[in-house]
Amino acid sequence: MTGMPESEKIAKQDPIIQLIVFRLGQEEYGIRIEQVKEVTITPDIARMPKTPAFVKGIANLRGDIIAVIDLEERFNLRAADQPMPAVSYTMAIEAKEYTIGIMVREVPQPLSIAQSVIEKAPEFIQDVNIHDKYIEGIAKIGPRIIVVLDMLKLLTPTEIMQLQTKATSSAADSRTKS
Amino acid sequence: MKSREQEYREIFMAEALEYYNAMSRHISELERDPADSEALRELFRLMHNLKSNARAMGYNPIGEVAHHMETIFGLIRDKEKTFTGSVVPVLFSGIDTIGEMIRAVGENEELPAVNRLMDNLDRLVKGEEPNLEDEEQDDDEDVSRKLELSDLVYIQVRKLDHLMNLVGELIIDRDRILTLSKEIGNPALATAAAHLARIADELQYSVMDARLVGVGSLFSKFPRVVRDVATTEQKDVELTMTGEDIQIDRNILQIITDALLHLVRNAIGHGLETPAERVAAGKPAQGHLTLSAQAERDDVLVQVKDDGRGINVASVRRKAVERGLVSAQGAAGLNDDAVRAFLFEPGFSMAKEVTEISGRGVGLDVVKLAIDSLGGQLRVASVLGEGTTFTLVLPTSIAVKGALLFELENRNYAIPLMHTDSVVSLLPESFNVVGGLLMTRIQDENVPVVSLRRLLHNGDGPLSPAQKTDLTGRQDIIIVNYNNRRLGLIVDRFLRQQDIVVKPMSKPLDTIDLFGGVTLLGSGQVCLVLDVPALTRLFLAKRP
Repeated sequence: MTGMPESEKIAKQDPIIQLIVFRLGQEEYGIRIEQVKEVTITPDIARMPKTPAFVKGIANLRGDIIAVIDLEERFNLRAADQPMPAVSYTMAIEAKEYTIGIMVREVPQPLSIAQSVIEKAPEFIQDVNIHDKYIEGIAKIGPRIIVVLDMLKLLTPTEIMQLQTKATSSAADSRTKS
Repeated sequence: MKSREQEYREIFMAEALEYYNAMSRHISELERDPADSEALRELFRLMHNLKSNARAMGYNPIGEVAHHMETIFGLIRDKEKTFTGSVVPVLFSGIDTIGEMIRAVGENEELPAVNRLMDNLDRLVKGEEPNLEDEEQDDDEDVSRKLELSDLVYIQVRKLDHLMNLVGELIIDRDRILTLSKEIGNPALATAAAHLARIADELQYSVMDARLVGVGSLFSKFPRVVRDVATTEQKDVELTMTGEDIQIDRNILQIITDALLHLVRNAIGHGLETPAERVAAGKPAQGHLTLSAQAERDDVLVQVKDDGRGINVASVRRKAVERGLVSAQGAAGLNDDAVRAFLFEPGFSMAKEVTEISGRGVGLDVVKLAIDSLGGQLRVASVLGEGTTFTLVLPTSIAVKGALLFELENRNYAIPLMHTDSVVSLLPESFNVVGGLLMTRIQDENVPVVSLRRLLHNGDGPLSPAQKTDLTGRQDIIIVNYNNRRLGLIVDRFLRQQDIVVKPMSKPLDTIDLFGGVTLLGSGQVCLVLDVPALTRLFLAKRP
């Protein structure tokens, strides 16, 4: 899938990049297609006690056991009147050391845009919930505004787990100390 | 027994042939560039290793040749000789001879005569000219020299790990297919499923077997360690080792390496007395340390035993009270085993005073954690003045564990049998509430009982005091045992006992140690495997 834009990169100055676009709360977010391993209907998830609420649990994705998280909950983007539907979708994202599932409410859609469409996030965006370092830029396509996320930065273990030790077991505390 | 010797010989052969090939390569490099110090160092190292291995296997002639060769490479390395002139053909023929000797061992033939070579090597050491006459006739032999490939392959443990993971998944699918074939009830499918199951089982055991190594491969490092530590500590220690042939998964051996090192250092440093103290106590001046391994059903027991001063239970008991680990009353009621278990508490063993008084203890909690991570057990037995024995109870293989499956809030969980004492089903009358805790009597012992649901889903605060009225009807309870502490866990329903393949928790959830891993059930459902040590710690931290 990435072969095409690669070859065009050389041909043109303005390469085309492919995004996977999904909705969190009211906004649209995009991630580069290379970072998405697959999209599936959310499989059966085993809830893990003693984990933060946004960690939905673990699921079996073709033999891989992966953690599934809900970014709407993680970033407080969920509107009270919009609970996660019974059938949701999970994007398997390949982070640096592991694969993780991100639960989204609608089928994520691919979208090709020119690299130049992505603008640096303006300074005044001060979303307290999403730290701007995960934001690679803002893509403006007609009336649509897509926040392009850098998943590799977002999904470091410390970021994703928020490492609030009080949310995990006391046993985990003692282990990090020893 | 015969087959193990055979196995050792095969390993020796594989390594020796590899050394020989590497030596042939390096000596050619050295011939091209006599200043190649890298090649020289390698040659020296390879000769040294070959010498040690050959002597350990009793192939003394090979050891002797390698020893003499090593000496000369050492001289060249130290610039006392140069790799020029008559030295070159002698060393080349030396390496060729080593190759012939190794092949002779492999084919059970008589070793070739090496008098002439040894004589020449001796002359070189003395600085005399070697006797190189008739050397040319060897050329024929060189041409007919056989190129050989070893019967053994070296394999990275990583690849074996991968194979093991795949087999683990195959086992899960096997269970699934067996379940499905029972449901569908087609005889042809049932036959095929049964056949698949047999093959999968055999494959699993073969892969597990391929990962087994002798405990001796770790034990063999200890004579040197003991000597060094004993010298530093000014102790006189005799080390005895038994059970080196006991087989265990290579990764388990890797994980216990530091733990064993720790226990041995502790035994010499703190357990054994100085010769003067020993004589004063009426013991032989030389302390005795035993490293042993033995197989017990599916487990391997590794013991570190010393005949030193032993653990003073009274002072451990006093320290435990001072540190607030137990009330004075509670401590008085504990038996000696329970008191000694405090040594494994984090922090407890770090206390310097304890080390001095009990003669034990730096970082025993670290040892305990390593053993816990394998799902094993650490036990200690000691008689004051007579010595201490630490016993590591280890699984033979990491991947497959016996487990008890149960249900909690409509989800399946597994708990390793290694930490399970028993299961009981009790009516509410069998419980008492003591200090906000449910207690019941099991085998004449008071055991605290906690609802696993409340323990897991309680949030961050301490547990609210238990009420007898919370209990309705029969309660299914799993009695777990960790570090001599028994704890009853109330679950919704027992399911069954089953061998499970535990997969480690994937990142980033691996920081949550309440779960030792996950397993996939025949139904494809993900099942969390509870970690009893972490669960016990959680209970102790959260109890009302």
